[in-house]
Amino acid sequence: MNEPELHGMNDSASLERGYRRLLACYPKAFRRENEEEILAVLMACAPDGQTRPSLEASIDLLKGAVRLRLRPRAGQPRTVFAAVRLMWAGALAELAALITIIATAGSVKAAVMHGYPSAAGSVMTHVRVDEVGMPIVIGVWLVLAWALNRGRDAARFGFASFFLLTTMSMIIAMAQGDAVYAPADVIAAAAVWSLALAAVVLIFLPASNRYYRQEAPVLV
Amino acid sequence: MQEATFLILTALAAGTQHGYGIISDVSEISGGRVKLLAGTLYTALDRLRADGLIGVDREEIVDNRLRRYYRLTPAGEQRLAEEAARLQAHATAALRRLKVNLNLNLAGGVA
Repeated sequence: MNEPELHGMNDSASLERGYRRLLACYPKAFRRENEEEILAVLMACAPDGQTRPSLEASIDLLKGAVRLRLRPRAGQPRTVFAAVRLMWAGALAELAALITIIATAGSVKAAVMHGYPSAAGSVMTHVRVDEVGMPIVIGVWLVLAWALNRGRDAARFGFASFFLLTTMSMIIAMAQGDAVYAPADVIAAAAVWSLALAAVVLIFLPASNRYYRQEAPVLV
Repeated sequence: MQEATFLILTALAAGTQHGYGIISDVSEISGGRVKLLAGTLYTALDRLRADGLIGVDREEIVDNRLRRYYRLTPAGEQRLAEEAARLQAHATAALRRLKVNLNLNLAGGVA
């Protein structure tokens, strides 16, 4: 006899589940502070019988999530915010280079076999090393970006060491004459290296220091 | 300052309000033109709180749901007053020039 009411309960439960799924896109700290309250407002705005989030509200919620994730964290200096974005760009550039290497491996092999058959072995070893090594490098970029974003002081020194290694490997590559036989490779490496240089400078600026020298690390 | 932010601060200028109250008030202030959605409202409230322009006045549980009341801080009042004065100065300038134009046109029409 309570059927209509039961239906109503199911409707609102499924609507609430839909909204919670959308709110899952928001940063954790924001959800802890605001989720229940936003849900109350969303449910209050929904007309009776609505079973799923409206398209308009869904787009607005997703836009809010993107806006929050692109905005600096509370108390984060602009320099750190910029450095972390540069590091994301660095990881993306490495990924693009990796995809290019994998996609062109076949034609590179054919060209080398044709022009310099004796060098084919060493070139293909180089390609294979890149295929294994670059995902690791991309991972390092991302982990360090994550830690630097959260104010971990150790990550600053981790990134500085990573930058030194990158610089050294570039100097070695230049010494081996990469610039002559693989100019595109060197240009790509130089572009990524400039991103790393800019990020290193930014995180060691005085404006960034106060973010990394707080008493307690910034969690969440 | 974005229009939504300006209207949210204006809604709070009259007294404390909760989220749903702000949405209805903003709709009223703007003559039904601006309908705030939850995502826009809460990203704006989050930013305004972080900037110290608004604060949480109190929390209540109504029908098992959290209801949080917000209020304007002194810094928020000052910021809203500055922004309102700026918009008013622009609007006054625009209206004055339109009036001059209108008068010229009228004068031209008569002559």
